[in-house]
Amino acid sequence: MKKLLLVLLLIIVVVGGGLLWFVNHKPGSPFETAGTLPLPSTEVLARGEAVARQADCVACHSLPDGKPYAGGLEMGTPLGAIFATNITPDKENGIGNYSLADFDRAVRHGVTPDGERLYPAMPYPSYVKMSDEDIRDLYAYFMHQVQPAAVANRASGIEWPMNMRWPLALWNAVFVPSGTYAQKPQQDAQWNRGAYLVQAAGHCGACHTPRSVTMNEKALDEGGSAFLSGALLDGWYAPSLRQDVNTGLGRWSEEDIFQFLKNGRNQHAVVFGSMAEAYNNSTQFMSDDDLKAIGHYLKSLPGDASRDGTPWVYAAAAPAQGQAGTRGTPGSATYAAKCGFCHGTDGRGRSPWIPPLAGSPASLIEHADSQINVTLNGSARVVTAGVPDAYRMPSFRQQLSDREIADVLTYVRSTWGNHGDHVTQQEVNALRQHTDPASSTPIILQMR
Amino acid sequence: MKLEINGQPYEVESDGDTPLLWVIRDELGMTGTKYGCGLAQCGACSVMVDGEIVRSCVTPLDSVANRSITTIEAIQNDAIGRKVVAAWVQHQVPQCGYCQSGQVMAATALLKQNDKPTEDDIAAAMVNLCRCGTYNAIKAAVQDLSGQKV
Repeated sequence: MKKLLLVLLLIIVVVGGGLLWFVNHKPGSPFETAGTLPLPSTEVLARGEAVARQADCVACHSLPDGKPYAGGLEMGTPLGAIFATNITPDKENGIGNYSLADFDRAVRHGVTPDGERLYPAMPYPSYVKMSDEDIRDLYAYFMHQVQPAAVANRASGIEWPMNMRWPLALWNAVFVPSGTYAQKPQQDAQWNRGAYLVQAAGHCGACHTPRSVTMNEKALDEGGSAFLSGALLDGWYAPSLRQDVNTGLGRWSEEDIFQFLKNGRNQHAVVFGSMAEAYNNSTQFMSDDDLKAIGHYLKSLPGDASRDGTPWVYAAAAPAQGQAGTRGTPGSATYAAKCGFCHGTDGRGRSPWIPPLAGSPASLIEHADSQINVTLNGSARVVTAGVPDAYRMPSFRQQLSDREIADVLTYVRSTWGNHGDHVTQQEVNALRQHTDPASSTPIILQMR
Repeated sequence: MKLEINGQPYEVESDGDTPLLWVIRDELGMTGTKYGCGLAQCGACSVMVDGEIVRSCVTPLDSVANRSITTIEAIQNDAIGRKVVAAWVQHQVPQCGYCQSGQVMAATALLKQNDKPTEDDIAAAMVNLCRCGTYNAIKAAVQDLSGQKV
């Protein structure tokens, strides 16, 4: 009996000890023996800056008016707010003391030099696929090109016991792939480059792939049909990037995708919502070859007709109120007075400068969040090479009531062949409260 | 790019994404059309393209190439436009006047499409903003033009 207890105790100690080791251990890095690094060449720094643009580090690790990469952006979680950290080479507040191996472990594995786990708001489940070369160049850029900023990190608002981070090691073991991107020899070089950019540094899936209840992205590559199939977050619906004819990129050519990422606009759409930031900070800086590779790869992801519905076909609308004496609906009257001057009475916009509403994914997807949000709050300025564009969606928060916005969006979503769901006053009101910049709890980036 | 404004051909140098308003005012020097909000909200910049009202501050130049543009400068060459201006004078509509070139364009476009607009039609079409509050005079002038008792 005593012996049995002793064996049990031994098992508990071994298993417990193993667990303790596992959740605190630092994953290996190919750079552990890198030693002292030579000063990087200008080519290396330029490549590192390009990787920083691909990964859009600045999007989260900066505040709109703050110093670049000094952190501070608040992200909401169900347990409390967390804040992006200072990743400038400041020795006290930033990553100035990180070795290349430390940097690698943080970026690709979500582990700090102390062995603490990062929250997966840091998209290391995508960055894990980044190549050794890209990590090395990125490190050189951050250590030698980014200006150190003495800005202290803010403590997270998550309280004990939920602030213990070791369980994330177990989450990582289940949900985070291991190893860098593996070339698919059956595909050509352009496809592989596109896949690498989309899955690794680009981390497109962080917004465009739906997540499970356990917060992991349902698929991290083209092997899963949920990959980049569209997801709701932060009051925006990030649409499908697959070949869905209505709600995805089915009607876009590779050239259309290239133009969208390069110029922020094409004949089908103009960047808005969170994608405007991704364009302003990231995609416009990528090389033409890389953007074309992304288009080539995305065009290879099949759509799902059962999810996507009947393919959209343009249908001319009845004349709006005030023209030829016809009486329209409240929605059509608001459309004529507030929307039609830019988006056209025919719903076709003034492409590529002002996007069409006829046939746009936002008009066809069941979730009206993006359209409600952009109507309430307007769109961000699209800035190309430092020059803001001439056309911008204004905010209608003060001008239109919940009822009027619901009516006008219902009109938009049921005209010109559009067949999105009707919009209710309640839906508009919920997002109005949730996105009110004057409220004490405005919407913040959600780590879901 | 070739434009046709008030029956005259023009060759302009601005880029295709330039708002028509900047071309009319800055490149061609026709300053009767006014800049108000720049967001298609107020209507001060209204001009007609092929007889339809557009807000020139949100009209990209390349969308109006080879189309017939009418600005306030030539409104009296148009039979309906001439009547609108006469009614505007008769009803003494303008106060400060800044929005009025847009108001006249909007009224002309409305009456071109619908010569007997109802009160609702007028309310739906005459949505340009006027900080002086000349709305009642505008409505009276348009009703007069449509043959309705004021």
